[in-house]
Formats: sequence, C-alpha cells, structure tokens
Amino acid sequence: MENNAKKWNVEQGDDRGSSKVYPPPAPVRVDQTKKKRKKQDFWVIVGFLGPALLIYGLYVIYSIAMTFYYSLFEWSGIDTHMVFAGLQNYITLIGDHVFWTSLQNNFLLVAASLLTQLPLGLIMALLLFSPIKGMRFFRSIYFMPFLMSTVAIGILFIYIYDGNFGIVNQILGQLGLESWQRGWLGNEETAIWAVIATVCWQFAPFYMILFRAAIVGIPEELYEAAEMDGASSRKKFLKITLPLLIPTIITSSILSIIGALKYFDLIYVMTDGGPNNSTELMATYMYEQTFTNFNMGYGSSISFSMFIIALFVTLIIIVFDQKRKGAN
Amino acid sequence: MLNRIRQIPLYILAILLLLFTGLPFFVMVSTSFKTQIEFMSAPWSLPESFSFENYRLLLESEFFRFFFNSVIVSVISVVAVIVLGAMASYPLARMRFKLNRPLFILFLVGMMIPIHTTLIPIFLLTKNMGLYDTIWALPGPYIAFALPVSIVIFTQFLKDLPKELEESAKMDGCGPFRLFWKILFPLLTPAVATVAIYNFIQIWNEFIFALVLTNSEENATLPLGLREFYGQFSVNVPGIMAALTLGSLPLLLIYLVAQEKIVKGIAAGSVKG
Amino acid sequence: MWKPKVWVTALIILFITAGCSDSESSTDGGSGDDTSKTLTLWHIETGESEVAIEDAVKRFEENHEGVNVEVVRQENDPYKTKLSVAMGGGTPPDVFHSWGGGWLEKFVEAGQVKDLSDDIDPEQFLPAALSPAEFEGKNYGAPLAMDIVPVWYNKGMFEKFGLEEPETYEELIEIIETLKSNDIVPFSLANQSKWPGSFYYMYFAERFGGPDLFNEAYKREGRGFDDEAYVKAGEKIRELAEMGAFPDGFNGMNFDTGQSRQLLYAEQAGMIIQGNWMLGTTRNDMPEFEEKLGFFLFPAMEGGQGSKKDIVGGVSPVYSVAEKSENKELATELVKELTSKATAQQLANTDGAISAVKDIEYDDEYVQEISNVLEEAEYMQTFYDQTLPPELAEVHLDTTQALFGLSKTPEEAAKEVEEKAKEVLE
Repeated sequence: MENNAKKWNVEQGDDRGSSKVYPPPAPVRVDQTKKKRKKQDFWVIVGFLGPALLIYGLYVIYSIAMTFYYSLFEWSGIDTHMVFAGLQNYITLIGDHVFWTSLQNNFLLVAASLLTQLPLGLIMALLLFSPIKGMRFFRSIYFMPFLMSTVAIGILFIYIYDGNFGIVNQILGQLGLESWQRGWLGNEETAIWAVIATVCWQFAPFYMILFRAAIVGIPEELYEAAEMDGASSRKKFLKITLPLLIPTIITSSILSIIGALKYFDLIYVMTDGGPNNSTELMATYMYEQTFTNFNMGYGSSISFSMFIIALFVTLIIIVFDQKRKGAN
Repeated sequence: MLNRIRQIPLYILAILLLLFTGLPFFVMVSTSFKTQIEFMSAPWSLPESFSFENYRLLLESEFFRFFFNSVIVSVISVVAVIVLGAMASYPLARMRFKLNRPLFILFLVGMMIPIHTTLIPIFLLTKNMGLYDTIWALPGPYIAFALPVSIVIFTQFLKDLPKELEESAKMDGCGPFRLFWKILFPLLTPAVATVAIYNFIQIWNEFIFALVLTNSEENATLPLGLREFYGQFSVNVPGIMAALTLGSLPLLLIYLVAQEKIVKGIAAGSVKG
Repeated sequence: MWKPKVWVTALIILFITAGCSDSESSTDGGSGDDTSKTLTLWHIETGESEVAIEDAVKRFEENHEGVNVEVVRQENDPYKTKLSVAMGGGTPPDVFHSWGGGWLEKFVEAGQVKDLSDDIDPEQFLPAALSPAEFEGKNYGAPLAMDIVPVWYNKGMFEKFGLEEPETYEELIEIIETLKSNDIVPFSLANQSKWPGSFYYMYFAERFGGPDLFNEAYKREGRGFDDEAYVKAGEKIRELAEMGAFPDGFNGMNFDTGQSRQLLYAEQAGMIIQGNWMLGTTRNDMPEFEEKLGFFLFPAMEGGQGSKKDIVGGVSPVYSVAEKSENKELATELVKELTSKATAQQLANTDGAISAVKDIEYDDEYVQEISNVLEEAEYMQTFYDQTLPPELAEVHLDTTQALFGLSKTPEEAAKEVEEKAKEVLE
C-alpha cells in the first residue's frame, strides 16, 4: 500500500506537462506537429487565462502600480498637490518604531496562525470524517465563526474579554484563578494575544473546509488497500492522508501567512491598534497614516512595503516547496 | 461495544469544539432578541422576553433592498470568480509554458496588497467607467481581488487530477474547451464549493469598497445598510446583532448547500477511480 | 508560433490604458444629470437630530423650487474615510459635516472648502461655536450644536455614602477614596476609544496652566506642550490610575459598545467624565437611570491658574460647502437653512442638544441647566483631538492612553507631543 501511495504521490509532481502526451509518430513530421500544437496551446492559454488576467490587471495590478507611484510622493490624498519625494517615505519608514512594532506583531500573528489555525482546521476536518453521529450538525456549527461578520465577532469578543463583565474572567474565577483575571484588551501585554486568539478562532473553519475538500479528493482505494494490509488508523493517517495533504498544507500556509501579514479587520474593531500601539499591525498603521493623518504618500509606502514583505515570504515558500518536490 | 467506548474521547473532543465554535453565534442570536436596556443591565443573560422589536425595525428599513443588492452583487461576483478562476487555473496547473510560473506568481501578488491603499485608484477608475454609485461598481473589484485565492485553490486541485483524463479525452478528439468544461470542471466540485463558500462570505460581508464606491441608500449593500443601526455616540448592540444575524442566514444556507456538493464530490470521486 | 513578447506588450498596453483613462478624465467634474439641480448633503446625525436635519432640508426644498437635495446619512467612523476618498477623487458632496478644528483645516488647506465669511452672520451664533471653523480670520463652516463635558455622577450613590458635589480637587480625591473603600469604581472610563481619557488630560492641564496654555502651545507662542502644566497633568492621571480610580482593563474598553456606561448603570461605578450626550444616551440605554444622573464641573486645582468655570467642550455638527461644488451658492443657502434658528430650536426641543445658535429656548430642564453652564463659562477649551491637526491629535491621544496605562512617564508623553507639534505646527 505504501508503494501505491508513493506512486500516486509521484504523479502529483509538477512535471505532468503535455510534452509527453503525444509521442511523435514519425521524425519527419515532428517539426510541423510541434508548431501546430504550440500554436494551439497559445490560443488555449490566451483563451483560458485572458479574461481573468484582464479584470485582474485592470483592478489589482493597476492598484499595486499606483500604490508604488503614490509612495514616491509627499501627498495628503485629499488634494491635487503632490510633491515628489523619491524614496524619502521609505527612509522615514525605516526609522519609524511604530512600524517595527507593527511588523513584529504581524509576525506574531503569522506564527500563531500557522501553529493554531492549520492544526485546528485539520483536526476539525478529520473529525468530520470520523464515525460520529449528527455529523451534519457538527459540520454546520464548526463553520459558524467564519460565517459571522467581523463586526459581530469584534463586539462579542470585546465583551468576552471585558475586565468586569467578561466571560474569560468569570471562567477564571470559577477555576480559582482570580489572580489571572484582568481586562485582557486593556493590558499592553495581553491585548495582542487576546486579539490573535480571536483571529485564529475566526479563520480555523476556513482551513477546515480546505482540508475537508482535499481529504475528499484522496482515492478511497488507498485506504481500502491499507485496511487489507491491516494498517491502524494512525498509520493510515501518517502514511496516506498526511503525505497527500502536503500540497494543501503548503497552499494553506501561503494563504494563512499572506492573510496574517495584511490583517486588518478585527484589530480595527477591537483595539484600533492600542493600547499604546501594542496591537498595531502594519495594515492598521497604514490606515491610520492614510486616512486619519492624511498622509497618503507615507501610507502607500507602508502598503508597498507590506507587499514586498509578503512577496518575499511567499517566494521563499515556493522555492522551498520546489526543493521538496525535487528531493522527492 | 468496544468501538463505542473508543469513540467517547472523540465525542468529547467534538462537543468541546462545538461549544468553542458555536457559542458566540448563539450569543449573537440570543442578544438580537433583547432590548438595549436589557443588554445594558445584563450582557450575558438570555433574553427575558423575546423582543422582536429589532427585527421589526430591520424589516421596516430598506432591508430588502439592501438584501437584494447584496444578492445581485455577490452572486454575479462569485459566479464570475468561479468561471474565470477555474479557467485561468487550467493552463497554470496543466500546461507547460515559459510564463507559467511568473503568471502564477503574478496572481499570487494580488493577495498581498492591503486593500485600503487601493481605494483611491479604484475610486478613480470606477468614476471614469461611469459606474460610481451604482451596484455595478462593486463586482469588478470583488472579482479581481477574489481571483488570487481562488486560482491558488483551483490550481492546487487541478494538479491533483490524474493526467490520464486528458489523454484519453484528447485521443477521442475532444477540444480543450470541451475537455475542460465537460471532464475536468465536474471533478473540481469540492474546489468549486470551497471557492464559492469562501468568496461568497467575503463578498457578502465586504464593507470598505461598498462604502467608497456607492453613495445613495438605494445602492447600498447589506453591510452598509446595516450601519443604520449604529448610533452617533452609542451602538445599539442588540439592533446590530439582529441585523447581523439576519444578514448571515443566507451564508449559512450557501454553506449547507455547498457542503452537500462536497459530499457529492465524494461520490463523483469514487466513480472516476 | 506564440511569443511571450506579445503577451507582455498586451499587458503593458492594458495597464497604460487603465492608467491613462484615469488621468484623462479625472479633471472633468464627473457625470451630471443637468435637468434639475441636485445638491448632496452628507451628515452623521441620528435619531431626533436626523429628523431635524431632514426637516431643514424640506424647508430648503420648498423655498428653492427645482432643487433636489440628496441627503445621505453616514456613520461616524467610516465617514472620515469616505469623505477623504471623495475629496481625493474630486467628487465631494456639496455640503458636508465636520467638527471644525484640525480635521476641517486639512481640507481647507487642500483648497477643498469654500470660504463662508461673507455668507454667514456671526451675530447669529455663539462666538465660542464659530471659532472651531475659523482659520486665518476666515470662516469655513456654520455650527449647529455644541457639547460640553461635565463630571456625571450617581446622585443616589452619593447620598448613600454621604457625599457631596466637590468644590476642590481634594474633595474629589476624598470622594474617590470613599467609593473605593466601598468597592465601587470611582470613575468609569472606556479608553480604548482614547478620547474619553483625553478629557482628563485637558481638564488637568487647563486647571494647572490656565485658559491660555493650550492656545500658546497650539499657536507656538509662549508655553509649549512640554510645559510644566502638561507634565503635572500627566502626573495626576498616573496618580489616579495608580490609586485604582478606573475599572479593570479600561484601556481596552469601548465607549461605543457601552462598556463604561454599563458600570455606571449597574451602580458598580460612581462617576464618569463624558459629554452632555450622556443624557440622550442614558435615555436610550436605561431610562430609569436618568433620575439618578447628576453632574458637576471639574474642580479647580490648588495653586493652578484655571477656574472651575472653564469647561472643555466642542462643536458638532459644523456644515461646510465644498469648493468643487457645482452649485456653491445654493449649497451655501442650504448650510444657512441647516444652521437656522428654526433648525436649532427643533433640535433643542426634541434632541436636547445645546444650540450653537443664539436665543434658543429649552424645554428640558437638564438641557437648560447645561446651557446655563455654557453661558456662565469663562472659557471653553475645545477638544484637543478635534482642534489639533490630525497627526498631532493622534500623538496626543496615544500618549494620553499610555499615561493611563502607566507605560509612559509624564515627561516622555509631554516631550513626544511637543516634538510632533514642532514638526507639524512650525
């Protein structure tokens, strides 16, 4: 069975291109067929990718380009008066300690997201395949956090963490841990963790459905073969499920990292970056600079830096993934 | 019997997770039946007498207009994202060409730009296209910003499909478009369901583009319209919870339907094997 | 044969067209349906004051035939973002809401606001209400209502513990100690929102440094934001925080969602420093609490230059006309109607707002009382966060929050504000 899984896994490789599809029947005609196929491929690529690329280029790529453009100016964003500043905004940014605090918080969020959202999502997804009754009900409830609007989550968790009425403190009181009680969002040390926990709570169900869809895609025969070999469920998980989930785990990691790097919503609702900038993220700081302080140019330079950081991290993952595939 | 006992920890875990994930939603719904006065005196208590006042106020407002606008915008955007995203993923996942990886990364980078700095360029763009303050201003950015995640998910799934599918289809003289729509796309059901759920929720709850790109009440989507329930100095918490509860019901429905699709995907998967 | 070059060229063309189409037409004023004139009004009023605004618009439409006013109510927080984008994008509303002060000044500096000096009659308004929209001797907005910030307290609770409204700061401290010894939070405060904490800083600073302190620092004439009075104000805040005058985790509590008010209503807290909107909010949140609600003015400090009669307050709403409006004259007329005596009187009758317009009569005795305070006031300190330019206001709010959280010393906080002030104001 292990062979089976491996074989399957090898086939996942990237080299499943179409080059091997048609072995050239006769050497004389190679050139012509290739040409014809290449031409056909070109139109397939254009036809399939073109529409998406068009609308994507119009809104997204254009916006990214404009963000970079704005970041080179000193500009309030509310008038037509723009002063070219070169890289001045970026130089200011490097000396801006709030930016570094927020970058640090972003990386905390990245780490927490990877370490909690993905495992939690995977556990929930696996539970959904286990033989427990009332699966539909569980499946629906587990997804609820992702379905709720951020505003509702924000308001509810503000109350959950409240120092006087909050549920967290009530539970701690019941457990006899009065000394742990505090206003979680009002304390510079705990605020960031309280918010991070909420973010992870909100997003874990998304990874649950990603994993669930991926597990669905694993051919039943692999498990059947394993069962015939008398493999335990733990062994089945380690030898079949997990290896076949690796591409999904990598995809999820990328989504999770990028999501965490540009996260904004709940922080904005719950703490607005405070107290004393302790929960500031790059995106909330950028928002404050752009729309509160009327510093569109500087805000754009924060945005573009976030973009570069996310790009850099993603490229590292891709290269890493490439190497892993090579090793396989 | 032994099997049952072995399942007990499983049930305990499942129920713990149930409370963990489900309680806030429950609190949201129960709060929505309270009055502001009741909420202010005891935020966590169950509603003493179910007050439908919040819902009555909601339904008296332009709720159905907002709802209708949101449905149009979300459905159009999600359908377009699925079609465009799945199509774009096909060459990226299954064909070899020089620009494959750069294009894939090009799509990836779209996820990395924080949305708030794109507001001014997109506002200008929308204005110049004459779409400002219409609901048609919204699908464009929604589709464009939803494409990256969708393409990542689709590409992932397409890569996992066995290549024999295409080979045999090509042997039968099946053209690439038919091959994609008739053979590959149906096998993508779990991915389509995932992408649909994800994007529908994001788009349904989207606030900032709707705020900036529309203006009049008649073009407001639900998240904008529901802001009516915010006061100037104080928030009517139960009112907001009622609005958000009502607003999230369609999402629940979509999720349940899509989940059934994933289950059907299991069936389709066993057929293909 | 397919060439990558074709692709790249196509993409480049696409972006260039996208870019060009934008810069070409952003200069022309946008689409116009010119059959009848339409004005757009953005406001943020809710409840009864929204009705007053709508009635004013009706009166305006009756007096100006063929003019249609599109009234759009915005929500406080996103409103600021939305107006910025609309201004930046060149399609501002004809008439828009503001609080005067540094925020409005940004738009004035950007040349986006019409000068109303020749259009409005200063005699019609209270002088203190006009000044937040005056920049370099010109007037850019007409005010409708005002807010002041007293100390609200629970009358029943004070009676129970034999407490009286304090005349001096020492008496206030005694009250705090009495409440504390009875396990009651002296001051309820939700300082995640930052501005509620700023009230304390403004009062302490004014009581120590006198009414001219802020203006000297703001105009860069004389004392600065690092003056001794500011350092002392910071020390007093720390003292209060250290003695436990505020609820647990107050720096994470949100005023909008009601966390600080809840403590007051539940009689777990005795006092709160808040604007006069507390009255309307209480009537909405917990009507039966109204009879327990009393207020006094923040006491003077011994040896300080400020008097108990100097109050902290602000103006809201202020209505201004966009410079880019196609119908500036009509828009100005609309502003006049929005801030007319009729509108102000209606607002006073139904919403209990204190008018920025002169000669208004109040039915509500509470409001009458608050209005008396305002009339007797020797000086009104306008909210720092609304008066200062936004980026400086942000530093003021952040450092004050940090003072409350004991994570900055008074000297550090004062120095930080002064440094930013030097950068922004000089």
